[in-house]
Amino acid sequence: MSEPRILEIKDVTKRFGGLAALKDVSFSVGKGEIKAMIGPNGAGKTTMFDVLTGILKPTAGEVFLAGESVIGKRPDQITKMGMIRTFQTIRLFEGMTALENVMVGCHSRTGAGFIACACRLPSGRREEAMIREEAMAVLKDVGLHTRANEIGTNLPYGQQRLLELARALASKPGIILLDEPAAGLNQYETGELSSLLSGFRDRGLTILVVEHDMGLVMEISDEIVVLDYGELIARGTPDEVRNDPKVIEAYLGIEA
Amino acid sequence: MNTGDSKQRKLLWGSVAVVALVVIATLIDKGSIGLQLILSGLTVGSIYALVAMGFSIIYSSTRVINFAQGGFSMLGGMLMYSLAVSGKLPMWLAFILAVLIVTALGAGFERVVIRPMKDHSVITVIIVTIGLSIFMTAVAKWIWGTDPVKIASFSGDKPLRLFGASLVPQSLWVFGLTLVAVALVFLFFNRTLLGKGMRAAADNPDAASLVGVSSSTSSLVAWTLAAGLGAAAGVVIAPINFAQYSAGTALGLKGFSAAVLGGLGSAPGAVVGGLVLGVLETITAGYLPSGYKDAVAFVILILVLLVRPQGLLGRPEEVKV
Amino acid sequence: MVVGAFILLIPLWAKFIPGDVLHMDIVNLMVLTGVYACAVVGLNLLVGYAGQISLGHAAFFGIGAYTTAILCTHMHWFPTWLGVIAGAVLAGAVGWLVGKPVLRLKGNYLAMATLGLGEIAFILFQQVKGLTGGTVGILDIPPLSIFGLKFDTDLKFFFLIWVVILVLLLVSINLIKSRVGRGLRALHSSEVAADAMGVATGRYKAQVFVLSAAFAGLGGAMFAHFQKYINPESFTLALSILFITMVVVGGMGNIWGGLVGVVILTFLPSVIQALPQWIPGLPHGLSNFSNYELVLYGALLILFMMFMPKGVAFGLSRAADYTEVRARHFRDRQKARKMEGR
Repeated sequence: MSEPRILEIKDVTKRFGGLAALKDVSFSVGKGEIKAMIGPNGAGKTTMFDVLTGILKPTAGEVFLAGESVIGKRPDQITKMGMIRTFQTIRLFEGMTALENVMVGCHSRTGAGFIACACRLPSGRREEAMIREEAMAVLKDVGLHTRANEIGTNLPYGQQRLLELARALASKPGIILLDEPAAGLNQYETGELSSLLSGFRDRGLTILVVEHDMGLVMEISDEIVVLDYGELIARGTPDEVRNDPKVIEAYLGIEA
Repeated sequence: MNTGDSKQRKLLWGSVAVVALVVIATLIDKGSIGLQLILSGLTVGSIYALVAMGFSIIYSSTRVINFAQGGFSMLGGMLMYSLAVSGKLPMWLAFILAVLIVTALGAGFERVVIRPMKDHSVITVIIVTIGLSIFMTAVAKWIWGTDPVKIASFSGDKPLRLFGASLVPQSLWVFGLTLVAVALVFLFFNRTLLGKGMRAAADNPDAASLVGVSSSTSSLVAWTLAAGLGAAAGVVIAPINFAQYSAGTALGLKGFSAAVLGGLGSAPGAVVGGLVLGVLETITAGYLPSGYKDAVAFVILILVLLVRPQGLLGRPEEVKV
Repeated sequence: MVVGAFILLIPLWAKFIPGDVLHMDIVNLMVLTGVYACAVVGLNLLVGYAGQISLGHAAFFGIGAYTTAILCTHMHWFPTWLGVIAGAVLAGAVGWLVGKPVLRLKGNYLAMATLGLGEIAFILFQQVKGLTGGTVGILDIPPLSIFGLKFDTDLKFFFLIWVVILVLLLVSINLIKSRVGRGLRALHSSEVAADAMGVATGRYKAQVFVLSAAFAGLGGAMFAHFQKYINPESFTLALSILFITMVVVGGMGNIWGGLVGVVILTFLPSVIQALPQWIPGLPHGLSNFSNYELVLYGALLILFMMFMPKGVAFGLSRAADYTEVRARHFRDRQKARKMEGR
């Protein structure tokens, strides 16, 4: 019996005019897995993320999140379904503290609307207290709780990346899509990130990560898929992929 | 093939067809009066075209929407009055001087007010140009009072007859000026280094500055050109419409709608937009109570923004994720 | 919060400025300020917090005014307080109708679209003569009366309007400090990221737009019952621009900013007009706010935007911070000197 797949991607194709950014890409991610999506620049990795999160509509193909189709849904709807992402360039909310940033992460799990908030109904206030508590807890998990009340965008770069991660985690997602989480981090910070992610995986989080730092990828991934020019050219364990001649050729442009 | 593209193409040709149909229908329905409406529409449309070009030029260089654009035209007309009627200068000299003065003003505005604000938000700069517009209107009211002023037509008032429609000679001056202006603008942007540089800067400011066209220069030249075009428009239409301190706002808004219709940032688009708007407006006035004709510009504006924000000839603005 | 209480007390002590010949004029101006403030508070939510823009809000103000005016003059039995509510509701409804499509646009394009809508509304006010009375407008609007209490003097209206403002401000503050307010600030900062975090950005933008439209409609309806006479000239592009300017000058993104902006800009013309009386040497005899006063107004607007783009509220808070830092430095130096002295 195979494990139920959290994320299923079937024959996804995305064309922009005459250019195919993604061509018939299929793979899936199981619960509690860390899967890495790698490939040279321009291979289509961020485009795939955009398709998965509803920012782009695929030209063809299907995407299922825990069995439910995701195509045609808005990003905020997909987040409510349990899939959340971080961004390649940091997109923290300016003018808001670290805590407030993370509290926005809880937005998808809460429901106090305009009327409830405008009239300060008790239900809204209770929810707000709960959000604050949970956000603090997530900040503790990533080690940022001491800087909760500082403006998010004033934090040092490495901590901003952590904050983005915390914000995404606050939504208690079924699967989290990380877009180059180690970009710009030094070796020490990358090591910290690695243990953090492994720790989360052990607690049941499913992760799909796009990353260029091969050290990190090899260390934490259960399985790797390789994209090149929009096509899936290889998949397997880190060792298998490392030795795959097609992968070597894609990255180095020479025959192995 | 991208389905979005072909839908846009159908929209484009569809709207061209609609405009053509409306024009033909008017001609059939009202005969020579219809022709008169169209000619008059082309006349005012040429003015819109000139004002619209001013908007587009400033927008493509600096992404600023200059709400004071109409004010340049108003000042052009008023100065023409002062120089030619009060000052009794010969028409041609008054024309040149009026345009030059307003052009200098435009450059001055850019240096003193706009340039220092280049890092401020869109809303702030918009309000500044609105402030400029209020300022210009107020100064005009102060200097020239509230009454409209009359300027003699450049070559008399005897109407010409064209297939049963009558055309005021001043209209020919309008057409002529517009043609010359369009040609000059075209030559500037396509044949001169500075012009080509500015076009490049509109697309890629960093690369352009590497070859010597800084955003500062672009901005200054853009404002100067826009002021000049606006002033010329204001001068040449003044004999037909009367110049008045309050003329700037309405003209600015219509010229703006024309620019959006043609495609903000596209000079040829501005011309097309202006002419189309002018014709549609006067045709509307022929069929509906005249108050509604002013609404045409805004209805078109909103339709364009909702359906095809880049206008007829503009390019879609890309938003990177 | 202390600042808030202080500002709220101003309406009260303003009434008691001793021996002020212009006393009733100030009350009158404060009513106008209050009525405009309804629109500006809502607009501040839209522009300052949610980061959108509207250059056509005078339309909603006008819709509120015309709704109550038409209802109360064509049907003499129609209760005026209901007219006001109807005005707010109708303005909100129109906001819903036009907001949904238009809010898909961003920045400049949204500004242009709202400008166009505002102009169309103005033209409709002028042209649909049967309902609106055309350019003549509507006369003899009955004064506001709520459950028998008639608000027919400036003073009574003054207290009423500022109570209303208080309520609107309270609602705004509640919203800002809540999850919804956070969502709005998030979508202002990065719409893409806010979407990704589960904020229904499209819906929120529409809702805050409707709210600001309703607030403006409320203000407009009250305006109608105060002036007892309206015509299209009261609801032009100039008013829309005035509203936006009030938001920006007062301080976007600051809940008191809108209020500060309204007060400043409503009183500015009168202050400028009165200047020749206070500063000897300024040109006289031009005290009709159509000549150099307007020039000054335009110039001030420009200068304001150039040097205080974040508005007075921020300017003031920065000044407060600055003095606080200086005070702290002073205290620290005192302490250091004392130590050395020992």
